[in-house]
Amino acid sequence: MSIRKIVPYLYIAPCILIMGLFVYYPIVENFRFSFYEFSAFSPDKVFVGFENFLNLFQDEVFYIALKNNIWYAVISIIFQVFGGLILAAILEDPVTRFVSGFFRTIFFLPVVISITVIALLFSFVYNPNIGILNNFLSLLGLEEWARAWLGESETAIFAVIAVSQWQSIGYIMMLFIVSIQAIPRELYEAAEIDGAGKVRKFIYVTVPQVREMFFVATLLTLTGAFTVFNEPYILTGGGPGNASEVLGTLLYNSAFFKDQMGYASAIATIILILTLLVSLVQMKLFRTGKDG
Amino acid sequence: MKKLFILSIVSILFLSIMAGCTSTDTSSDSNSDTVELRFFHRWPTEPKKQYFENAVKEFEELHPNIKIKTEAVLNDSYKEKIRIVLGSNNPPDIYFSWSGEFALNFARAGQALDLTEYVNEDKEWSSQIIESQYKPFTLDGKIYGIPWSTDGKAFFYNKQIFNDLNLEVPTTWSELIAVSEKIKEAGIIPISFGSKAPWTISHYIGSLNELIVPEEVIAKDYNLNNPDGEFSHPGYVTALEKFIELQPYFNKGVNSVDHQFARELFNGGKAAIGYFQLAEIGLIEPSLKENLGVFNTPSIEGGEGNPNSITAAPEGIMISSKTKHPKEAMAFIKFLTSKEKGTEQLTEVSEYSAVKGTTTSENASALQQEAIDLIINADKTYLWFDTAVDITIVDAYLTGTQLMLDGKKTAEEVMADVQEAAKKLKEK
Repeated sequence: MSIRKIVPYLYIAPCILIMGLFVYYPIVENFRFSFYEFSAFSPDKVFVGFENFLNLFQDEVFYIALKNNIWYAVISIIFQVFGGLILAAILEDPVTRFVSGFFRTIFFLPVVISITVIALLFSFVYNPNIGILNNFLSLLGLEEWARAWLGESETAIFAVIAVSQWQSIGYIMMLFIVSIQAIPRELYEAAEIDGAGKVRKFIYVTVPQVREMFFVATLLTLTGAFTVFNEPYILTGGGPGNASEVLGTLLYNSAFFKDQMGYASAIATIILILTLLVSLVQMKLFRTGKDG
Repeated sequence: MKKLFILSIVSILFLSIMAGCTSTDTSSDSNSDTVELRFFHRWPTEPKKQYFENAVKEFEELHPNIKIKTEAVLNDSYKEKIRIVLGSNNPPDIYFSWSGEFALNFARAGQALDLTEYVNEDKEWSSQIIESQYKPFTLDGKIYGIPWSTDGKAFFYNKQIFNDLNLEVPTTWSELIAVSEKIKEAGIIPISFGSKAPWTISHYIGSLNELIVPEEVIAKDYNLNNPDGEFSHPGYVTALEKFIELQPYFNKGVNSVDHQFARELFNGGKAAIGYFQLAEIGLIEPSLKENLGVFNTPSIEGGEGNPNSITAAPEGIMISSKTKHPKEAMAFIKFLTSKEKGTEQLTEVSEYSAVKGTTTSENASALQQEAIDLIINADKTYLWFDTAVDITIVDAYLTGTQLMLDGKKTAEEVMADVQEAAKKLKEK
């Protein structure tokens, strides 16, 4: 074999090794751990086969968490991806161009604030005794709508999801803005000559042209929705009871609160499978990389 | 040859990265003259953070050959993190621990050093500490932790509000309800409470269980190794029902309110009563001053437990079984639990030292002395509920009670979940 053939591999070898060590090895180890029962301080692991998974599928909290993650995904797609696209289109419209810099910054600001800060901020907004949201509602004469948003089983998860929308819509909007700016102006001019209005230009020019970005944005939001942890953990800790538990907080509580490491590994494996499935399905649907 | 050259460079690069990952635990031995100890506690907030930093500085001046590196994370995170770091290859030498099941777990897992020998060796120092406080750190006759502070739980009340409304301090549960009703009618929040972090629930449940359920039944049920303990006594359901009787008198939306916020409500005079730890007197007295009063958890009519009892347990310091310098670590613990430091502790961070005679009229307010007397005069003290029983039972209790506060579960349903958790646990 000639040196020429080997050298390129040597160049990527460090990267592969480090990736393998810090990314793929933990995934494989986690998969292995999900067949054992052990705690953080017990050095000996007991092999239990599929018991962790069987217990998980019988655990009603798992289904609550899964349901909440699905809510997270659905609402995030609607608000962040569709909402972000519409926002981007409005800000990129020639009519609003002169203020778009200002609004771009406004919408993007929450993205650069630490999620912990935002969660703490919103726990004040939602506070049932002094919170600004309930005060605002009573100013509008809607006192009967006021409630302990994070403290009631029905509203807790949606209050948490709302925070994520507020934070992330600016990020997705920015992705779409970049992508809209890359659309050749001629396409819009041609559409105008054909007599298309703003809505038609959006549907027939903008949407097809940002297809690739649409794929990236949905992939980001969906995997984000299934791996979400910070917002629910800080805002509600999964409570009241388990009403706002997501897979991430369930994993965390099992591992570090109840000390069931094997069980937590099983949850991690399920999250991995779910996110892999989501991205596989999407790659098929969007046939990314190929011009369609 | 070029190939070999490149390969060797790549492998050197790679090895240097690997070396970077594993070199941490040899650093303490690099200089044999100084010993480096790692101290892990749960107070990253002021004033305790500063107190420990100063204590470490003072200690290092007295012992120039010992260097102490401090790490701290808060409360709930501490409970999680300490389990992880102790299981790792490089655990902290000295660590803080709650007493009871929490500490004994470390002992059972072989993560805690047996300190009996040190306690017996230096009687002059060890006998200064209140003897009863060693017990929650003792497993099979061996002492695994040194009590550092002690604390109890009691109802705090705002004397001003009580006087304005002509109310008497309640001594029974029905009096407490009657008093709360009157305060509510006056338009003041009767009891401030926040259960977002659910350990606050466990303090109510712990006390109510002790007051209602007979002692020997509790001893059997809380004990992990007793297969008969199934939490089937009807008193447990009564305890939850008594707790939920208070709900109409709590502030709004308790499940989304955290403990600090509840304390501020009480602090600001917006609520008349609160259920707090005696150590919190130091945090509340500055704002309520002479209007702050304390009374023991009211007795329950028909309760089968001892009415003159109180939740009161020490928090302590333990040493990792993997430490290379047990003597030096012990010297630091002795320093922290000396009479001198114990006296400072109350004034500076308002934690009652477990060292005898450290709460005096010189460093404590009349109320703080009254509070410590509540502990000393009680016939019986019992542990914090969330450290007295296994974590899975605590979890079933707390998530269930949160839902009960939200109107989603009844006391019977919560107890059914608890019994289920206990059964699963004890079958193992």
